[in-house]
Amino acid sequence: MTAGDSTPTPLSRHILTLADTKRLLGIRYSDWILGSPSIETGIAASSMAQDEWGHARLLYAMLKKQGFDPFEVEHTRPAGRYYSAPALDRPFGDWADFTAAVVVVDGALAVALESFAAGSFALARTRVPKMLAEEEYHRRFGTAWFARLAEAGGDARARLNESALAMLPSTLAWLLPGDDVYDGLAAEGRVWEAARVRERCEDRLAATLARAGITLADVDPARDGWDADRRRGPGAPGEEAVERARGDRNRDLFVE
Amino acid sequence: MTPPLGESVFEVFARKSRGEPLRHIGYVDAPGVELARVYAWKTYDEENWFEMCVVPRGAVIPVNRPEGPWARNLPTEGDDG
Repeated sequence: MTAGDSTPTPLSRHILTLADTKRLLGIRYSDWILGSPSIETGIAASSMAQDEWGHARLLYAMLKKQGFDPFEVEHTRPAGRYYSAPALDRPFGDWADFTAAVVVVDGALAVALESFAAGSFALARTRVPKMLAEEEYHRRFGTAWFARLAEAGGDARARLNESALAMLPSTLAWLLPGDDVYDGLAAEGRVWEAARVRERCEDRLAATLARAGITLADVDPARDGWDADRRRGPGAPGEEAVERARGDRNRDLFVE
Repeated sequence: MTPPLGESVFEVFARKSRGEPLRHIGYVDAPGVELARVYAWKTYDEENWFEMCVVPRGAVIPVNRPEGPWARNLPTEGDDG
């Protein structure tokens, strides 16, 4: 079975949602390995990109026991079958986008992973805690850079505010799908209930976002055009990113 | 060389195991302590460090050499603060 030819089970949908978002986030981070504000920042972007890809691979591997072929899932799906957060569909336009994504998208992902690690799925309980330990450095990076741009004021703060506000509604909907599939997973003890996820999201993101004048409690999830199968809003990641995610240019070299 | 973006230099120290002394492994430029911690961990990640610390270069006081990278941190004679 592949994720491209059938509706996945609720647990598989959840794993694909996390794995695809990590894969796309890694690609978007990697775009800034060169051209970020300093050499150290570029090195951190590189390391974070590798973290995301490593985590994605571990998450895709969890699909094996759900009846999927991880190789097929990673290397053959079209863009329209990706479950990634919509905020990653297009490349980051500037450093404000990068910083906002570390706080908003990576932060939401970490909350989703905390929820998954606390649930009853054994592979998540054993594998996700190490991911969360690595994610702690992403949180520190995002918080420090967000504060720096916010405190700079002027155009920097305005761009940061604009960028974070553009990412938040679709990312909140991705994190909190508010549908029967998610509620069923929560009822089975696989993940936290939506209210607890929202509460944890507030704990993790609200104070940072407030530095740029954003009140997280006032932001509603954007559910227009909701695609329940893919647990996300409309659209798909750009073909340029999906080709990299699938490894299209290396296809003839695959030896696995 | 003066670091860009109003950054400061932080010296990085680390050890691989509890019983090993901390050793100087390099430095990073960072605008503050929080990013210095992240940059150090992400830059010097070739080992599975047991412990890593960063120290602002300005906090390193030379003991026996009046020249070198830390010479500017020498206290004025009579100043013990």
